[in-house]
Amino acid sequence: MTRRARIPNLGGAKAVVLHRPHPGTEALGRHLAAIGLDVVEAWPELPAAAISADFLFFDVDLGFDAQFPWAPGMAPMPLIALIGSEAPGRIEWALSQKADAQIVKPVGNAGVYSALLIARRAFDERRRLAAEIADLQGRVAERQTIVRAVIALSSGSTDETQAYAQLRALAMSWQVTLEEAARRVVELNNKEASHERPRRA
Amino acid sequence: MKRQVAIGVLYSRSGSYQLLGEASRCGALGGIAAVNADAARSITFVPVEHDPAGRIEAYAPLCTDMLTQTSARHVIGCITSWSRKEIIPVLEKHGGLLWYAAPYEGFEANDHVIYMNAAPNQHLVPLVAHVTARYGRNAFLLGSNYIWGWEMNRIARDLVADAGGEVRGERYLPLGDTDVSRLIEEIRATLPDFVLNNLIGPSSYALYEAYAALGREDERFAAELRPIVSCNLTEQELPSIAPHGEGHLSCLPFMWNGAAGPRSSFEAAAHAAVVMLADAIEAAGTDERDAVRQVMAGLASDTVLGRIRIDPRTQHAGLPAKIGRIRGARFDILQESDGAIAPDPYLSRYDPTTSMRPPLRLVR
Repeated sequence: MTRRARIPNLGGAKAVVLHRPHPGTEALGRHLAAIGLDVVEAWPELPAAAISADFLFFDVDLGFDAQFPWAPGMAPMPLIALIGSEAPGRIEWALSQKADAQIVKPVGNAGVYSALLIARRAFDERRRLAAEIADLQGRVAERQTIVRAVIALSSGSTDETQAYAQLRALAMSWQVTLEEAARRVVELNNKEASHERPRRA
Repeated sequence: MKRQVAIGVLYSRSGSYQLLGEASRCGALGGIAAVNADAARSITFVPVEHDPAGRIEAYAPLCTDMLTQTSARHVIGCITSWSRKEIIPVLEKHGGLLWYAAPYEGFEANDHVIYMNAAPNQHLVPLVAHVTARYGRNAFLLGSNYIWGWEMNRIARDLVADAGGEVRGERYLPLGDTDVSRLIEEIRATLPDFVLNNLIGPSSYALYEAYAALGREDERFAAELRPIVSCNLTEQELPSIAPHGEGHLSCLPFMWNGAAGPRSSFEAAAHAAVVMLADAIEAAGTDERDAVRQVMAGLASDTVLGRIRIDPRTQHAGLPAKIGRIRGARFDILQESDGAIAPDPYLSRYDPTTSMRPPLRLVR
């Protein structure tokens, strides 16, 4: 049976609301509690425990970089922007924090639950993509290693097409990526070369 | 001299869910009569009634009319989630409070609504736990093509998976469609252990009739072996499916025991809503919305549903769950919760290991 992604159960999840006490956000805490989250409100300092929160709501109107103990855009949890003034500079700042969802103030009866679900999904997707990009970048950086491995495997009777095929076969039998196999081949080759050197000397 | 308080009653008396509208209206008017006949009370209710006649676009204007042209601040009404969502902006704008007395699919906690009937942790979760433990774990999910069916079946997919079962099929019919022959063929082909019925009105009635015919033709589909189960089929609709409903199951907060008073959970919940509202207005000394909401946090009311409290966080009622088997015009109660089940509209306290334990199997 194929399993689809389930709507996450938010019971017991921890939400930090970084906003000064204000009538415009009163409904937010109440609504989060109704959905089953534990809510901590803070302003202007983010408590140390916030690092383990599952969601962070932050004020776009009065927020600033130094409130967060991480570089802009590097939050370890989904961020939800609380937008009052739609001044372009403030929106720009919220974008620099990489907010995953937003709620417009005053916070009413609608929008909190969907913001939680959308932020969770967007954050997870962003993280997955970042990991995939890092992996691909690493592999692109190994292009030179592959070239060196193919050269190492080539000899008088083996041309580069055969050497490349041999490298692929090695990667398969070692059950590693082509780049990893190339690294091993280059390392082995270097070792052999360094063993040979003293004899020649 | 008793104080007169206007109260809105907004139920459709025609259209695809008219029987439910009639039952709820009857419960609301019964509750109003009970309050007005109670000599100990300091208030009497004056109903302000409008009939949207099942037309979705009529709800918001009629509700606006109640809240602006009369002194009513509270509205007892709405059967479908669609109509509830239609009037919420009106309630927000004019400071009204809706007393919603129909079972619904959960995942809402609006400040302007008091939820007086069951949410999934009070109907679907106990029902699926009951049937998966007794009849088998594999389900066929049916629904009318709108939010009740979609959301109920979405939750059911998770519950069935947690019980260790599989969903053998999931099908939707347009509202009012009575051509169930294809559904019946699919059910026959996939042989589920139970059928979860989230069809509404005539579609639902057609299902029971066709399933009974299937059962006569193929004994594997007898109600005792593979029941149709539902969270909104009440005594109100049993005459519409008789005798084809015999032996099938429902999970409801109220089942009629033959006594005087409400005869279905729709009727009982609307009746209880009016009584709770009267208690709250008397305790608050006003029918102003926020004052009523505030006193309700500490209030317990004796109603036809039993002693009821509203959870102040979610504004949902704590309610009992009763699982009953259809016999004639009533249900035989097979199982009931130990008192009221606290509301959990977002299923945030749902724990599959305690709610949906798969039955132990002998391993050789």
